[in-house]
Amino acid sequence: MDPSYSLQALVSSAREGDQDAWDAIVERYLPLVCALVRRYRLSDADGDDVCQTVWLRLVEHLDGLREPEALPGWISTTTRNECLRLLAARKRMTPVDPMDSVALEGVAEDVATADLVAVEERQALREALAELPAGRRELLLMLLADPPIPYADISERLGIPVGSIGPTRARALDQLRNTRALRAVVSAGLEIGGEPR
Amino acid sequence: MTDWSDDDALMAALQEAMAETDAVTDRRRETARAAFAWRSVDAELMELLHDSALEAGAAVRGSDTARLLSFGRGALSVELEVDGDEVSGQVLPAQAATVTLQRSGAEDRTVAADGAGFFRFEGVTPGPARFVVTASERTLTTTWVTL
Repeated sequence: MDPSYSLQALVSSAREGDQDAWDAIVERYLPLVCALVRRYRLSDADGDDVCQTVWLRLVEHLDGLREPEALPGWISTTTRNECLRLLAARKRMTPVDPMDSVALEGVAEDVATADLVAVEERQALREALAELPAGRRELLLMLLADPPIPYADISERLGIPVGSIGPTRARALDQLRNTRALRAVVSAGLEIGGEPR
Repeated sequence: MTDWSDDDALMAALQEAMAETDAVTDRRRETARAAFAWRSVDAELMELLHDSALEAGAAVRGSDTARLLSFGRGALSVELEVDGDEVSGQVLPAQAATVTLQRSGAEDRTVAADGAGFFRFEGVTPGPARFVVTASERTLTTTWVTL
């Protein structure tokens, strides 16, 4: 399914039982869920379980979602809550050493706000990339490839002269800054009282 | 705060963002997609009302290691005690009922709750689970929870 498909359309198709639309939602937000889970330092198995619970809960929550725009926030909050819940549950199962000050805090510690903001910014960047026209998105992804793809190969694959790769990259990045996803992050930053970026 | 006005800085940020996509395992992608099969449009959901795991000081109570969960909708609620691989519970108000444990990738397990509403499952492994309670001709499903 086209990565630029609107969230509204994906959610309403998924509500009608469309597995492809659901898979597209998974594709868009699973990196966010996994990135958040990683921050909580759960075991791999517990991380897998939390991740699965988040998606199962989204399946049951799909019809209760009033605004599709609220979905990213819901996913992020649910993931963090599930991580904290499981961390705390696992701690209970371990005998407590009274000398261990971490255990004495009782409930699991949340991840630093700055860390969460960074995770959400990276989600916005991926969504911004999805908003770009396919050709520009492909160019940026090729330029990001590791190991790097030689310009000659990029030129051949995308059918643009080597000399215009640099200028096209600059235009693609300008376009990226003007996507809905990135403008939303910048204006949210301004609202919170942050400096203009 | 990230500076996206510089082209190279923005490219570096994009690289980090795409690295998170590359870090997604096939296993997580598969289970996330498969979750859609659990969609049931008219299930009546019991919300999670209480989870002792989130109580402050839960870990310092020493020998008391069981986790208490409570779900409810309207007048009906179900209380669960998770102790190792044993889950015991009670349907409230106390009454006979059938309780089904549902897990992703496993057969449903159904037990009867006695006249006082008590029931028990043994050999419950960690992972997502939900409980379907049928009592007084009503069927209610708890929200998913990670055991």
